Amino acid sequence: MNIRFFSITALLLGALALMAFMIPQEKKKGGPWEIPQEYVSMENPYKDDASLEKYGKQEYMKHCRSCHGNIGEGDGPKARNLEFDPGNLSDAAWQDKVTDGELYYMSIIGRDEMPNYESKITDEETRWALVNYLRTLKK
Amino acid sequence: MKRYLLGIALVVSSISLAIGQNEEEKPKDKPVRAPFESGYLIDNQTTVIQSPKTLEFIIQHKFGTMDKGFTDLFGLYAPGANIRMGLNYSLIKNLQIGYGVTRLNMYNDFSVKYTIFEQTRNNTIPVAVAVYANMGIDGRNKEVYGLDFKGSDRFSYFTQLIVGRRVNDWLSLQVNASFTHFNKTDSLIDHDKVSIGFNGRARFSPQSSILFQYDVPLKIKSIAEHREFTNPSKPNLGFGWEIRTSTHAFHIYVSTADGIVPQHNAMFNQNDWTKGDLMFGFSITRLWSF
Repeated sequence: MNIRFFSITALLLGALALMAFMIPQEKKKGGPWEIPQEYVSMENPYKDDASLEKYGKQEYMKHCRSCHGNIGEGDGPKARNLEFDPGNLSDAAWQDKVTDGELYYMSIIGRDEMPNYESKITDEETRWALVNYLRTLKK
Repeated sequence: MKRYLLGIALVVSSISLAIGQNEEEKPKDKPVRAPFESGYLIDNQTTVIQSPKTLEFIIQHKFGTMDKGFTDLFGLYAPGANIRMGLNYSLIKNLQIGYGVTRLNMYNDFSVKYTIFEQTRNNTIPVAVAVYANMGIDGRNKEVYGLDFKGSDRFSYFTQLIVGRRVNDWLSLQVNASFTHFNKTDSLIDHDKVSIGFNGRARFSPQSSILFQYDVPLKIKSIAEHREFTNPSKPNLGFGWEIRTSTHAFHIYVSTADGIVPQHNAMFNQNDWTKGDLMFGFSITRLWSF
């Protein structure tokens, strides 16, 4: 009786341990962004303005790096505590797909865990400087 | 009479038209980017006020003087550390109100800061100008005031004019002039004190800066109440390191004065940096936007 009981318990514990390996450990992917058309087609008035690069970098390091990581790969120290994967900003395919206006919306307006930065980055030129810097992360 | 009124109306309307045209012609000169990362600079205020509807929580902590060396780990484990916790709220653009409580003398301070001018990028306005004022209420037991105690004895006032300039991308400097008044002081100590200060920050990475300050209480005979200055307050020297994130500013510093509310330092600081009276301290701010 005892041997049978212990065997079944060991089997169940073993099965549980094996199941732990099957549970996906990756973070959930956020669904597609619903970006208003006015932002999708928004023109970047500071496109290719190299003088803004240092300001864009400063803003990225201050506001974004903790989650998105040093080079945008989504591996910042706070990323592990997020519910959703912050994504890979350096991914060339993704970068080619989004417009500057969409990047602006995602970065400044945000959604869910991605905070709204309208009150923290109040200057329009600085917001576009950040968008320009995000473009430089493309690999 | 009617002619005069008509003439005045004509002049006013032509001036306003001229100003309107002028405004249309000139491109707007925007304020410079972040001259300082925080409204605080060690023991001083900067001309920076957070954007409207932002609540700031601050913890300021000063340890003991480091003159005992390893005995109390350079003051880190010394008794009598001073702490202030406070809240600031930006009501509208460039106007902030605040409240804080300090351990030393249990000061309750109510403050207001207004940035009158912001420095602009094309030097239309070459400097930022701000005024900071607070009222402190000494919260100690009334027995410390001796006989003839009145509630108003607890009150002290501090007013400061700050002029700052962001010199370039990495260097910002400020000068300030302050007036301090205590309703009640010891019999040989003046009630009023004028001081001046110089401080700044040098940024060395996107998030980190070196901070410095030097505040000098002045000994002005014309406003003195006594022939000799008894225990005049000493200058406050400080150096620090600032780290800024999206919602926090951290300061780790070494400074002279043991007080945290500025009027206390201006009036009573007896620590002398030339004799090694320096102490470690830190500040942490946290911002919430509404």
